[in-house]
Amino acid sequence: MEYILTVMVLIGINVILATSFNLILGYGGLMSVAHPIFYAIGAYCSGLLAIHLQIPVPLSILIGAAIAMVLSFGVSLPSLRVSGDYLVIASIGFQLGILHVINNLEFTGAAGGLTNIPVLNEGPSRSLVFVLLIAVVAACAVLLVGWIVEGDYGRAITAMRNDEEAFSALGRNAMNIKIVLFAIGSGMAGLAGALYAHYFAYVTPEQFGIFTSAALLTMVVVGGAATTWGPLVGAVLLTTLPQAITFLGLPVSIMAPLQGVIYTTLVIFFLFARPQGLTGGSRGGGGLEAWSASAAFRARRRAE
Amino acid sequence: MSTIVRVEDLHKSFGGIVVADDVNLSFEAGEIVGLIGPNGAGKTSLFNLISGVIPPDAGSIILEGHRVDQLPMHHRARIGLARTWQNTRMFHSMSVIDNLLIATRRYPGESLARILFRRRSVDAFRQEATEKAMVLLERVGLAEKMHEMAIELSYGQQKRIGLARALMSDAACLLLDEPMAGVEGQAYETIIRVIREEAQAGRAVCVVEHNISFIRDISDRTVFMFNGCVLASGSVDELTRDTQLTDLYFGGEHPQ
Repeated sequence: MEYILTVMVLIGINVILATSFNLILGYGGLMSVAHPIFYAIGAYCSGLLAIHLQIPVPLSILIGAAIAMVLSFGVSLPSLRVSGDYLVIASIGFQLGILHVINNLEFTGAAGGLTNIPVLNEGPSRSLVFVLLIAVVAACAVLLVGWIVEGDYGRAITAMRNDEEAFSALGRNAMNIKIVLFAIGSGMAGLAGALYAHYFAYVTPEQFGIFTSAALLTMVVVGGAATTWGPLVGAVLLTTLPQAITFLGLPVSIMAPLQGVIYTTLVIFFLFARPQGLTGGSRGGGGLEAWSASAAFRARRRAE
Repeated sequence: MSTIVRVEDLHKSFGGIVVADDVNLSFEAGEIVGLIGPNGAGKTSLFNLISGVIPPDAGSIILEGHRVDQLPMHHRARIGLARTWQNTRMFHSMSVIDNLLIATRRYPGESLARILFRRRSVDAFRQEATEKAMVLLERVGLAEKMHEMAIELSYGQQKRIGLARALMSDAACLLLDEPMAGVEGQAYETIIRVIREEAQAGRAVCVVEHNISFIRDISDRTVFMFNGCVLASGSVDELTRDTQLTDLYFGGEHPQ
């Protein structure tokens, strides 16, 4: 039972992460892969505040999320100058740079990780209560993103993603939208990180590396970029799938790389065969259009 | 007549390629200027410089008394510049009407805070923008296409949507990049009429076009560009009588 509840907590965390990543990558078309670093910032800041300053956990969670929001400038400012593949590179630099700092600082626990983080709630039904809490937060995350991308603001986001230059030439300010999308998306990732830290009481730097970026990308692509429910479907599938594989009883030397192989295969398969993901309509793809082989194909055919 | 846009000693080069070589030009209110020249003469680059897609190396651009050459693109657009693009640049995952709504002067979805706290003014802006978009679609003869995806229309129809989109902001200066490419038949007359009406409403219009008979039909003054320089200015007939210019246009040599 405890195992199932723990998996459900992970699903909830991943729904928040994938949904917020989808806001930036899928809807905004902002090709940042640094999303896990805001997850890390939320986890570490909130954990450290609770450990060293004895700040009450609920408050430290909110502060952790707020710090992630503010530090999103680290990616949103470069995104004003570079886009597409160049932003991927800039964001990887930002992610690995901060990770390197965390890895080498004494007070973050360095490579060994941050331990003894105070938990949010205790008691016999601690996991169940936490699952309910995370379900509420995840539902709010999905609804918030759904609200942002609908209507007039969503139209502006779509237009910016389609053609930023044409968008700016019509008097619209792309800079504001980028900063807002990164701030909200990263704040949500920070919240997920802080919740994670105060449930598992332990975080390590390696949880927030490129592998996590790939996992989140897979969730968004498989579920459906720029759709409301896609990241939710993707997060549920890709959190339970690796858990299911563990029951196969394969040796660790095969298990560990297998996950990475599955993720990358899925991303490539979907970008080629079904860029709109599982939930997307006929015209999906969102910000990943540029990477999607079939969309490029369609565009070329139209041009001819 | 009052000057809407004045370009002074504008210079821009990419490495050794000079796309604007001390260009001096002005567009007056109510005037339609035709900009012609062979491919690579710097016509579209001039539009890019004026609208802010590329920054100039030197010189100034003055829009209704404001110096705009250092301002970002969206800021210039808000002061009063509107342009269309050679390759239409529709927002491809949006409908025709949504393409137009984006371009309205007071955009209802400008900020999340506004949507959240000033619901009523946002609704009013949207109402105003939708009505305006309908009128413009009517004028370019594509009202029945309002809910179709812009990218699924023909090239000529996209050109007309692009024109309508540029008119959404009531900009004082209109820069039209090959508005006639792909436009045929009835639509040709429609576009000429719309452009004339906009000029009569006091806007300064500059049109880049390879279709010389269209330029002859519509422009009050024609400017000939070559290798980033403004070589001559006058009526189409004056320019076409100049054999040196026609030689250049049809692939002649650089004047020594």
